[in-house]
Amino acid sequence: MYSKVLCCAVYGIDGIAVNVEADIHDGLPTFTMVGYLSSSVKEAGERVRTALKNSGYYLPPKRITINLSPADLKKDGSGFDLPISIAVLMSLGIVPEVDMENTVIIGELSLNGRVNSVPGILPMIHYCYKKGINCCVVPKVNQEEAGLIQGMKVIGVETLQEAVDYIQGMSDVSPYINTNKFIDEDICYNVDFSEIKGQQVLKRGMEIAAAGFHNVLMTGAAGAGKSMIAKRLPTIMPRLTFEESIEVTKIYSINGMLPDSGALIYERPFRSPHHTISNYALIGGGRVPKPGEVSLAHNGVLFLDEIPEFNKNVLEVMRQPLEDRKITISRVNASYVFPADFMLVAAMNPCPCGFYPNMKKCSCSSIQIKRYQGRVSGPLLDRIDMNIEVKPIEYDELFSNGFEENSMSIRERVEAAIKIQRKRYKEDGINFNSQLDGKLIKKYIHLGEKEEKMLEKSFKTMELSARGTHRILKLSRTIADLDGSKEIGEKHLMEALFYRNGIKNKEN
Amino acid sequence: MDSVCNEELEKLNKGNIRIINRDDEDFPQKLKEIHNPPKRLYIRGNLDGSINLNNKNIAIVGSRNMSTYGKEMARKLARDLSKAGVNIISGLAKGIDSQAHKGALEAGGYTVGVLGCGINVTYPRENIDLYTEIDKKGCIISEYGLDVKSFPGNFPMRNRIISALSDGVIVVEAKRKSGSLITAEYALEQGKQVYAVPGRAYDSNSEGTNNLLKMGALCVTSADDVLWDLMGGEMCRNANNFIDKEDDSKKDDLLNNRGDMNDIEKMIYDFLDLEPKYIDDIIQKSGIGITNTISTLYIMEEKNIIKQPVKGYYIISI
Repeated sequence: MYSKVLCCAVYGIDGIAVNVEADIHDGLPTFTMVGYLSSSVKEAGERVRTALKNSGYYLPPKRITINLSPADLKKDGSGFDLPISIAVLMSLGIVPEVDMENTVIIGELSLNGRVNSVPGILPMIHYCYKKGINCCVVPKVNQEEAGLIQGMKVIGVETLQEAVDYIQGMSDVSPYINTNKFIDEDICYNVDFSEIKGQQVLKRGMEIAAAGFHNVLMTGAAGAGKSMIAKRLPTIMPRLTFEESIEVTKIYSINGMLPDSGALIYERPFRSPHHTISNYALIGGGRVPKPGEVSLAHNGVLFLDEIPEFNKNVLEVMRQPLEDRKITISRVNASYVFPADFMLVAAMNPCPCGFYPNMKKCSCSSIQIKRYQGRVSGPLLDRIDMNIEVKPIEYDELFSNGFEENSMSIRERVEAAIKIQRKRYKEDGINFNSQLDGKLIKKYIHLGEKEEKMLEKSFKTMELSARGTHRILKLSRTIADLDGSKEIGEKHLMEALFYRNGIKNKEN
Repeated sequence: MDSVCNEELEKLNKGNIRIINRDDEDFPQKLKEIHNPPKRLYIRGNLDGSINLNNKNIAIVGSRNMSTYGKEMARKLARDLSKAGVNIISGLAKGIDSQAHKGALEAGGYTVGVLGCGINVTYPRENIDLYTEIDKKGCIISEYGLDVKSFPGNFPMRNRIISALSDGVIVVEAKRKSGSLITAEYALEQGKQVYAVPGRAYDSNSEGTNNLLKMGALCVTSADDVLWDLMGGEMCRNANNFIDKEDDSKKDDLLNNRGDMNDIEKMIYDFLDLEPKYIDDIIQKSGIGITNTISTLYIMEEKNIIKQPVKGYYIISI
């Protein structure tokens, strides 16, 4: 007798539907599984047979064939155990052939019939929900995660027997409802901008960067507070929207990095990988690719401290995700696309000893300085909109009791600026000024006569490139948005020119 | 033997290098007057009598590791002296030397670089652009043969040529034990005037120059000081761009610009000097907020009364 149930697998950061078919007929007693299976799925047969036996179901000596379709998709993961068992029991007639069109079953089995957790539940359920499936049977451990999708009927099961009972309609397993609703309140960060003394230009720069999602490079001596401010950057960035939150949570779900509470991730991600990181850890990889740091920083901040110390190769692979805001990883059997829309915040010392331009302390020759700064390649710098010089603060500033603005009031301004941008770019598929390309710049950025002249003059005196000019326009747009101004004024342009990324400091 | 000669000849031709012997007519007269003149000189660029008796030559020397103050002073002195028609002699080394040459070239003046290595060796490498520019607009001299490396021992000897070619030596910035002090010593030996740019009392970068001043060197804070000493008032008045000390009605460009400044600009200008000041400190001083300070600084930079030697740090422009 033939039966079919629905399952789901992770594909990139999305799910993909997998049909589990079972057929039992006369013949030599075998248990065969087909459908382009990886070894972890092949082993499912053994687990299923034992788990069925230990749950009190005896398989008759017949020919049992399991097929997972589509047949051209490599099946990986452990979530197929439970649907296979259900399909087999259905073929045996133990479980009644009820309408299972709208129910997806995911779960890994223990030999004793317990249902174990599976990574990547959220992307799978999210995908199923989008496909119109409104009920799911998942491991009890994962039910909170699945419950994040509002409108999905979530049945959390602990054992195979429970799943069977539910399908037979015998038990009163009530659907799980996630009470962790998307919270619309403020998140409490344990760090705050007010803890940073002085550094007004740096703070202002960060505010601009957050308001337009601009990539930033900080240059300054060790101990100037570069890392400190980078860590506090998420506290002034706008809260994640529900959609963004789902995206982030999905990525963390695939990597098995979700907190136990099963709640969505509300905080903007802040990733700060060490400079010894490999290509694959940064952009994602593996035989079945997993998201790397650039994707884990999706919708958040990727902080690269001591950027000249990073392997050159590693920095170069970041160029594509910086441009496309996603990363495509190709393997023999498929290519996977992971989102990677992050804000790059890089920090570096100005020279090997770290004291330049303080000539009294700096012991580096100008060649050494040039070489050190040259370690960050031009194409990468070209994708960074802002460059901020940081100077360590003085003693009296450190212990001054001056008023320092807290993150919340900065965030209010940032949020207002972002609201303006979202409204402006509603039809262009982008959210922030930093994402403007040449065409859109022409559409949205118009300078007055005075400003035009000023830019032209700067173009010559500062030896700007075409790209550099675009960067300045985008930056001045953000500064104007922060100001709530419709037009870009001279003041905005001047500030943008101040924060521009001059690529290299020239010595003379 | 022949092949070696041919090779050398080829190099000379390729690099447009001339050799002048001591008895040749165009051998610089001033060099003949010292007790140990070089036997021959290797020359690139044009010598065209510029270093002869009648023209005034000033050497500007100083340490390789300069401060912003030294850098700006060297450049300014070279520029102003060049404008007044004085030739600038220096050693094409890093730091002050390069700034002196650059200043002279900026003003469209004539400048001579004296090398401590073979004339076809560019040392330091980073000065390659400067080297080719002087080759075109000034001249490069060396007493060493082709391909001679820059041995440390060569430089003191080179310094005697620098001082011999000039009518006076300005030491812009020198540590207590600096090679430029050797140049000053040669200058005294050869009966030339020694000028020194004063520095702060405890600034190690200026210790050497301050010591020179103590020993009787002429204190120089502007090109006029040198011109007065060199040519006397009469010639000075004729010199290009010269400001008469007795005539108060004519202030220099800088002070003219100051008249145009508004109060905030004046305050910022007074706060700045030749020591780079970080933007945060300027913001704090001005008290008009970040955005306004940045725009004010931008306008001042545009007017060329201040500049940024390093991004985010400001000095006054001289």
